[in-house]
Amino acid sequence: MLSETGRSNEPTTKPQRSAEEEALHCVRCGLCLSVCPSYRESLKETDSPRARVALVRALKEGLLEAPTDGYSAVFFRCLLCGACTFVCPSGVAVDRILELTRGELAGLGLLPKALSDLDARIAQYRNISAEENDGRLIWADNLPTPPTGLGKKRAEVVYFVGCVSSFFPRSYNVPQSFVQILERADVDYALLGGTEWCCGYPMFINGEMESARDLIHHNVETVRAMGAKKVVMTCPSCFHFWKHSYPAALGVEKMEDLGLEIQHSTEFLADLLETGNLELHELRENVTYHDPCDLGRKGGVIEAPRRVLAQIPGLRLVEMAENRDSSHCCGGGGNLESFAPEVSKAVARSRIRQAADIGAGTLVSACQQCERTLANAARAERLRIRVKDITEVVLEALEE
Amino acid sequence: MTDWIRELEEAIGAEKVLSSPVDLIAYSFDGTFEQHLPDAVALPETSEEVSAVVRIGSQHDVPIVPRGSSSGLAGGSIPIRGGIVLALTRMNHILEIDEENMTATVEAGVVTANLQAAVEKLGLFYPPDPASIKQSTIGGNVACNAGGPRCLKYGVTGNYVLGLTIVLADGRIVRTGGKAIKYVTGFNMNQFFVGSEGALGIVIEVILRLICKPPYARTALVHFPTLEDASRTVHTVLTRGLVPAAMELLDETAIECIEEAMQLGLPLDVEAILLIESDGADEESVQREINAIADICLETGASRVDVARDEEERANLWRARRSISPSLARKAPNKLGEDITVPRSAIPEAIRRIKAISTRFGLPIVIFGHAGDGNLHPNILFDRRDPGQWERLEPMVEEIFRVALDLGGTLSGEHGIGTFKLPYMREALGQASINIQWRVKQALDPQNILNPGKVLPEP
Repeated sequence: MLSETGRSNEPTTKPQRSAEEEALHCVRCGLCLSVCPSYRESLKETDSPRARVALVRALKEGLLEAPTDGYSAVFFRCLLCGACTFVCPSGVAVDRILELTRGELAGLGLLPKALSDLDARIAQYRNISAEENDGRLIWADNLPTPPTGLGKKRAEVVYFVGCVSSFFPRSYNVPQSFVQILERADVDYALLGGTEWCCGYPMFINGEMESARDLIHHNVETVRAMGAKKVVMTCPSCFHFWKHSYPAALGVEKMEDLGLEIQHSTEFLADLLETGNLELHELRENVTYHDPCDLGRKGGVIEAPRRVLAQIPGLRLVEMAENRDSSHCCGGGGNLESFAPEVSKAVARSRIRQAADIGAGTLVSACQQCERTLANAARAERLRIRVKDITEVVLEALEE
Repeated sequence: MTDWIRELEEAIGAEKVLSSPVDLIAYSFDGTFEQHLPDAVALPETSEEVSAVVRIGSQHDVPIVPRGSSSGLAGGSIPIRGGIVLALTRMNHILEIDEENMTATVEAGVVTANLQAAVEKLGLFYPPDPASIKQSTIGGNVACNAGGPRCLKYGVTGNYVLGLTIVLADGRIVRTGGKAIKYVTGFNMNQFFVGSEGALGIVIEVILRLICKPPYARTALVHFPTLEDASRTVHTVLTRGLVPAAMELLDETAIECIEEAMQLGLPLDVEAILLIESDGADEESVQREINAIADICLETGASRVDVARDEEERANLWRARRSISPSLARKAPNKLGEDITVPRSAIPEAIRRIKAISTRFGLPIVIFGHAGDGNLHPNILFDRRDPGQWERLEPMVEEIFRVALDLGGTLSGEHGIGTFKLPYMREALGQASINIQWRVKQALDPQNILNPGKVLPEP
């Protein structure tokens, strides 16, 4: 799809440049400073995309002798929101520079410890939280009736729940709401349970793509063996990684070449609500929608959640100052919470203030991570803004 | 660590002083291809902290290079002699918007677009709009007397400065001007610091004049098959008594780069476009003016005039205009953007001569700029890694400046001199002018610690 600036959110097929070659095309205009959430908080150039690019070049040109922990920290203190790459008039793929540089740093053993521990946990347990992987469906225990997708061997649609919603009770509401909607719409779907493995995204962003390969192959083989035509995710990061990085890892151009359509739950719901017979009741609420970076700017899914909200009678959608392609990160990106929580919190507070500025009573998003960081920020800022997942809102409208 | 860095840490807090290799690299460049490491970076948050930093610099004879977002295009905020980079980005508070007197009092680190957004919410308007509006700061805009497209009708940054708070080279703080519109009490100290590139004092607070926001604006995109006709049209429109808010010229390479970056559907089969905006308080007269301008353009060789249909289309055109300079990186890894001005009637001749320089040296020169102001941005595109290209750069620059001076113009319209234009200053100003400007510099900064090696060639 084409974005506001006409740039495609889909990864390009043009030959990719090396990190140094990308860096060479930065003219240092500094426009990226204006959209970088972490720079906007610290107002320190070292935290800016422009400085990261300059550092890659400094190393290449010998101004810096060798990568150090300090150098490494600059590349990991980034939320990976992609706003800089999106806005860059010179066409510098800062995201690509980060990916390649992180890869090199990981190879040199300069990964922050919190991140290398995380990758080791995933390799051992197949999930991010170091729990037995069979426990992925505990959230389903609290539902009024057991989901029909449990234990199914074959189905057209597979719901890939993702680690966070599987293991963090605070995010159980997301899969719980989503499967209840699927039940009401009589969708033939399956849940994977213990055969779902981490999608591999954390390893990818930590610069350890090689370690993610096993996970990728396992997940794709599993869903194909079930005869699935469509894999749906509520987690934008799983979605973005499946849709945009799995193909290259599997040696295909796109997932459709393997007979698989990858959809985010908002796309699935938009189609379902617009064509189905589900009756939605009125919800009188002033809501704003927060675009998760992995779903919107990076994932290319911007209209679907708005189409979903537009189906609910009475709901009034007000956009924040920075929305759609230009959305501002929730602060939860890039695993920053685990080793630079102060940055993460400051960014989240700025975002929730944007919702307060337009008088939103509810902030709706489509990402369990965004919702957690923004709900915390609302509390910290003493703002009376409810934070909800879009699946919860839809379920409410179905139930009332 | 040197003693003075420790002193800085004690004075303003260790967390506001940076000196790691990684931090120093981050503060070693501006919007050009040059680079030099400072010895330390200070990130003060109050005027007292700025004063303390300057005092320590002065005591130890250490250069102090003030900066905001360092988006400058002349090397002005590069610490070419090391020392302290004094980054004012954290002094980013809008202290007051006085609706009755129509003024804004802001700290130097306020980003210009943020100030504009804040005053526009109240129906007020701060017109200066450098292309770097989203990232550059008011302090930097004052230091370079920044312009922008709208300056054709509304004037440059200096025209909006009513008062300044300045930290002098010895750390003392002085105020100039005030909220009163008329202020003939002593020398005009405001204008004296405007455009001084941080070499006379450090601007930390600014009182800006605001005007009412014109509620209506129309922007026309005018296609010209020849660059010559486009450049002549500028003059014709203005001499017929029309005062558009902006009149920007883009040549074919500029159009091509922007189109590649933004895919707006700009014409790729013309030599030039003019981007012309008309604005005002009355919708009908704005429409009449843009129609009259369109008619003139069609008379003078335009093949087509498209008026933006809605606000989004209009905003996109101006965003495209602001993106030209960085988008040139799509053609070549390096660019050197000049900022010459000539009397308006000389624009067609200036463009002819610049294009001839490009042909003679065999390196592309893209031309765009504020044609209505006679302010052009010829950008030489090159690859610094290629010695054959690199050695052609300086003679080309020299010839471009000669064109400006020969035609009665000058070196810079809004970017400033920095280090890039320093070698041409004597020719541009004459020795007598340089001498008296040095006397001023010495009176205010006897140790030559404020942004040394910039603006004025040393005697």
